Amino acid sequence: MSVIATSNLTMQFGEQRALDSLTVDVPSGVTGLVGANGAGKTTFMSLLLGLRSPTSGQVLVFGFDPQVRGAELRALIGYGPERNILPADMPAVDFVKHMSELRGMPRSEAKGRASDALWLVGLGEERARALGTMSTGQRQRVKLAQAMASDPSMLLLDEPTDGLDPVQRDEMLSLIRKINREFGIDVLLSSHLLEEVERICDHIVALDSGSLVAQGRLVDLIGDQQGVVVELAEIADYPHAFADVVSQLRDSGLTVSHGDAAPRMEVVGADVGMVADVVRDAIVDANARVVRIETRRRRLEDVFSVGGQ
Amino acid sequence: MNVEMNSEMLEQDTLSASASDDGAEIHDLGYRKFEGERSGLVGAVRSLSWQTIRSILGLGRKGRHKVFPIIVGVVAALPAVVFLGVAIVLGNFGEGATLTYSELFAFSFTAAVLFAAMVAPEALVRDRRDAMFTMYLSTPLTRVSYLSAKVSAVLIVMMTIVFGPVLLALLGWTFVGSGPDGFFNWMLAFVRLFFGSLIISAVLSSIALACSSLTNRRAFASIAVILAIFGGIISSNVLVGDADFSNVYGLLDPIGTATQTATLVLGESTENLDSPPLLASVDSQVVVLGTLAWFAVGAAVVVFKYRKLEAI
Repeated sequence: MSVIATSNLTMQFGEQRALDSLTVDVPSGVTGLVGANGAGKTTFMSLLLGLRSPTSGQVLVFGFDPQVRGAELRALIGYGPERNILPADMPAVDFVKHMSELRGMPRSEAKGRASDALWLVGLGEERARALGTMSTGQRQRVKLAQAMASDPSMLLLDEPTDGLDPVQRDEMLSLIRKINREFGIDVLLSSHLLEEVERICDHIVALDSGSLVAQGRLVDLIGDQQGVVVELAEIADYPHAFADVVSQLRDSGLTVSHGDAAPRMEVVGADVGMVADVVRDAIVDANARVVRIETRRRRLEDVFSVGGQ
Repeated sequence: MNVEMNSEMLEQDTLSASASDDGAEIHDLGYRKFEGERSGLVGAVRSLSWQTIRSILGLGRKGRHKVFPIIVGVVAALPAVVFLGVAIVLGNFGEGATLTYSELFAFSFTAAVLFAAMVAPEALVRDRRDAMFTMYLSTPLTRVSYLSAKVSAVLIVMMTIVFGPVLLALLGWTFVGSGPDGFFNWMLAFVRLFFGSLIISAVLSSIALACSSLTNRRAFASIAVILAIFGGIISSNVLVGDADFSNVYGLLDPIGTATQTATLVLGESTENLDSPPLLASVDSQVVVLGTLAWFAVGAAVVVFKYRKLEAI
């Protein structure tokens, strides 16, 4: 059963088309909703929550239309907004408890669950602190805790790593992955960073200016193509060595990409062993010298370009 | 709604099978699935209403957020407490002192206006400022149920401020033997005072919430409330008192209009008063319509603003 299914979903704001005939099918698991700022990710989430009416087309969440069963669906969805502004003088545990009650938890249950959720996201010791005194990373965790304290069937997380440093980002992504794996909560994660989506998502829905760029299982999108990264030394006797290697590799049918600044190239092919052999021969033939050579897995950004990457 | 869950329920870990010989166990429940019944929309409205009451009264917040609610509480309670104290000490209200039921509302006005201007805006303004409106609409709450919770919260506190002192005064009156005769008449007075308070509270709450829906700054909302109330009072007095316009222009005074309607509910006459209100000679139905108009305009402003307000 699809968790989310849309058919020709279109959302128009005046002259601007935020979503254009979007037909997607999101199964259980962790799904990455990727796209640059303004791609339509947040609009898509608002339609899933039933907060907007689509201009045309249909959206179903757990098989129900959010426009018809919105209140019931929202009780089963934990939403973590992108904006990082929360009631400054409210203790974290009170905030999570309050949001939990709003999503249907009985008062007697809500306080205990709020504490449990805050412990889970690593804020157990900080649960009595006012939200205004917390760091950006802690507030992101509080947003995650409030979204899941009511035991939702699905989390909608809008840019949950926004404003986090690399370590905090790793922790947040691990936490989201854990929530899905251990508690079976489906996750739709919005992000403009392909790298983080690639790390934890099972499925991808990629948007660009409101249109669908790609969707499907991550492994299907990336495929099993692999390659190598090659960095050559510049040698005065063989000034054309780099260009010769690139030329020979392309003649062999491999995909080669490189920048202008350094003698570094990325070579992608169907089989990494074959790629490595061809690279080795090309280097020998061109009398080039190797500084570094390493295997490289195909990345999402090789498949499509979103988020300005 | 029966939503198929894809996960296995998290098993509860038993850290220790037996901590002592009597079979006691320590369970680490941790995060777990919820199998009980959810409280639904009614529970959400109740929770938001209660949280709003706590918020506007400064409960669970820093000391500075409690200042205005405490001032309002003191201003509301003090006259009635003094009234009650005098009644208890002297056994009456003093030589020749008489009050109509509607005059009891005078105890509440200052506090009610202070609350409407300084405290009530917190109910709506804070949610927009903190982006909580979006958070609330991501729960089972709808715009209508969200506003219902907010209105009920403000109305409950406003009723406490308006009706509380009046009730105290009624009790004092009863205590010195000047109150209604018999249980039936006492209950009748109680009910009439309750509904009179409700009318005044509804009009003031409507003005406060309408002004609060126009801005994200509490200070601006407070100014707007003061302008709406005192602007109405001053303009009605100038037009009717100084410029000899029709007494109908007295309807521009929201407090006077609401009080006059409350007086009608109380079944009292203003004919014998030394300085009857501007609306004393206006037809009762027009006064009631005027009160409804104040309430309706305020409600319309709130609905219009929130219908258009972006949730995400």
